[in-house]
Amino acid sequence: MIIDMQAPPDVSVPPKPVQAKLSVQSLDVYYGNFQAIKSASLEVPENHVTALIGPSGCGKSTFIRALNRMHDLTPNVRVDGQVTLDGEDIYDPNIDPVNIRHRIGMVFQRPNPFPKSIFENVVYGPKIHGVRGRKQLMEIAERSLRHAALWDEVKDRLDRSALDLSGGQQQRLCIARVLAVEPEVILMDEPASALDPIATSKIEDLIGELKKDYTVVIVTHSMQQAARISDFTAFFLMGELVEVGETRDIFFKPKDKRTEDYITGRYG
Amino acid sequence: MAVVSTARVRTIGSAEHFARRRNFDKFMTGALWAAAIAVLVLLAFFIGYILYLGAPHVSWHFLTSPPSEVDVGGGIGPEIFNSFYILILTLLFTTPIAVAGGIYLQEYARGGLFTNVVQFCAESLSTIPSIVMGLFGLLIFVTTLHWKFTAIGGALTLTILNLPALMRVTQEALASVPNAFREGSMALGATKWQTITRVVLPSAIAPLTTGVVLIAGRIFGETAALIFTAGTSVSAGNSAYDFSLFHQAETLSVHLWYVHSEGLVPDAAQVGNGSALVLLAMVLIFNISARVLGGALSKRLTGK
Repeated sequence: MIIDMQAPPDVSVPPKPVQAKLSVQSLDVYYGNFQAIKSASLEVPENHVTALIGPSGCGKSTFIRALNRMHDLTPNVRVDGQVTLDGEDIYDPNIDPVNIRHRIGMVFQRPNPFPKSIFENVVYGPKIHGVRGRKQLMEIAERSLRHAALWDEVKDRLDRSALDLSGGQQQRLCIARVLAVEPEVILMDEPASALDPIATSKIEDLIGELKKDYTVVIVTHSMQQAARISDFTAFFLMGELVEVGETRDIFFKPKDKRTEDYITGRYG
Repeated sequence: MAVVSTARVRTIGSAEHFARRRNFDKFMTGALWAAAIAVLVLLAFFIGYILYLGAPHVSWHFLTSPPSEVDVGGGIGPEIFNSFYILILTLLFTTPIAVAGGIYLQEYARGGLFTNVVQFCAESLSTIPSIVMGLFGLLIFVTTLHWKFTAIGGALTLTILNLPALMRVTQEALASVPNAFREGSMALGATKWQTITRVVLPSAIAPLTTGVVLIAGRIFGETAALIFTAGTSVSAGNSAYDFSLFHQAETLSVHLWYVHSEGLVPDAAQVGNGSALVLLAMVLIFNISARVLGGALSKRLTGK
C-alpha cells in the first residue's frame, strides 16, 4: 500500500513535550465473560489528534467508548482500570458520568441527528445545560455550525428537518452539536466510514481545524486516514494495544512485528 | 488451432424451474391482492349496510334528546355525551400510568425478576375477558365502595382493562426509537430523564398516538365491562350533560345492547340501527382527529 505522507524528518530533533489530556492506565473491558480490551495504557496529548487503528473487531471502538463512560449505558459491560481527565479519575464513584460526557463529547460511526430541525439539533446540548434565550442560542448555533464548516450550506433552512440533509452534512451537524456544548475532548468513532470520499475529505479537513481548540481521539479502519490526519497513532490487535507512538514512527519505523505486518497489509 | 467455445454450461437453475417459481410468484401476488380486496369489500359492505339501516333514523332530535323508556321517539343525546365522558376519564387515568409503566419497562428495567413479574402480570391482565373485569368492577366500586352505578366506576374498570395494552403499546413505541438517538443525547451530557423526555418520547409520538387511538376505539365499543359498573340508564334528571362523576352513565354501545335486549320501546330496532351508525361515525371522527393531532404534534416535535 502507498502511504501519502512526508518522509520521516531528522530523528535527532527531539519532539517537544506535550501535556496528556486523557491518560488510560491498564484498562480492561469485558462483555460478560469475554475480555474485549486487555490491559491497555495510553496517553492522549492535548490539542492533538490521536488515531486508534486496527482490524475489525480489535477493540478500538470498545476502547474509545470507555473514554466517556458510554459503556455505562449497556448492560453486562464491565470496565476495570483507570482513565483520568486532567488527572481526575472519570471512573471514580463520586464522579457523575453525565458531567464527564459533557466534557468529553462523542461523534458516532453513523450520523445520528435527532429527528428535529437543524437548529434544534445544534442547540439541544446548550438547552439541556440550561442555556435559555433565543438570541444566545442563535449565536451558539451559528458559531458551532461555522466551526463545523456547515453554516453556509444550512443557514437558510435552519428550521428544516436535519434528516433531509445528506449523510456528510448530517455528520458535520453531529460535530456541530458536540461543539455547541464546548467539550474539552472530542471522541470520534469512525466518523467517515459511512460517507463518500468528498464528504470524508471535508470531515478530515475539519478534524485538522478542530485540534487547535480540542483534543481529538479518532477511531478509523483506514490507515491512510490515520496517516493523513493524526499526530499520534495507537495500533490495536485482538483487544491488545500493541504499539503507540507518533504517527510517522508507527508508519515508518514500527517497533512491533505485528504493527509492521498490519501497516504493510499482511492482514486486516 | 481449434476454436474453443467460451459459452459456459449452466449447472444451477433449469428453465422449467425458473418458469415454476415465476408462476408461483405471480400466483402469490394475486392471492395477497385478493385477500386485501376481500377485507376492503367486507368493510365497505358492513359500513354500507349500517348506513342503509341507520341513516333514516338519525335526526337532530335523535342526536340530542334523552332516551325514552316506553314511548316511541327516544334519542341518544346523553349516551353520546357519556361515551365521550367515560372515554376521556379513562384516558386520563390510563395514559399517565401506562406510559410511565412502559417507560420503566423499556428504558429503566434491566431484566431481572421484578421486570419479568411486571410483564407477566401485564400479559395475564390483558387476557382477562371484559365481562370478568365488569364483574370485578361491580364487586369493588358498586358493592364494596357503595358507589352504585357511576361514570367513575366505569372509567376505573376500563382503566384496569386497558392498562396492560397501552403499557405494551408504549413499550413498543419506545423500542422503535433507534438507540443511536439515546447515545447521541447521552454523549452530549444529557441526563437519562432529559434524553427520554426530549428525544425518545417525541420520536415515539406517532406510534404512541396510534396506540392511544386503538385503545380509544376499544373504550368506545366496550359494553360488557360497563353494564355492571356504569349502568344501563342515564342520570335521573335525563339531562344530557351531567359532569358529575357519580351519576349513572350509560354509553352509546351499552344503549345499543340495552334497547335490543332489554328495551321496552316499540322502535327499538330503529333506535339500535341509528345508534350503531352514530357509534361508527364517532369512532371514525375520533380516529381522524386523533391522527391529525398526532401528526401535527409529531411535526412540531420532530421538525418540518
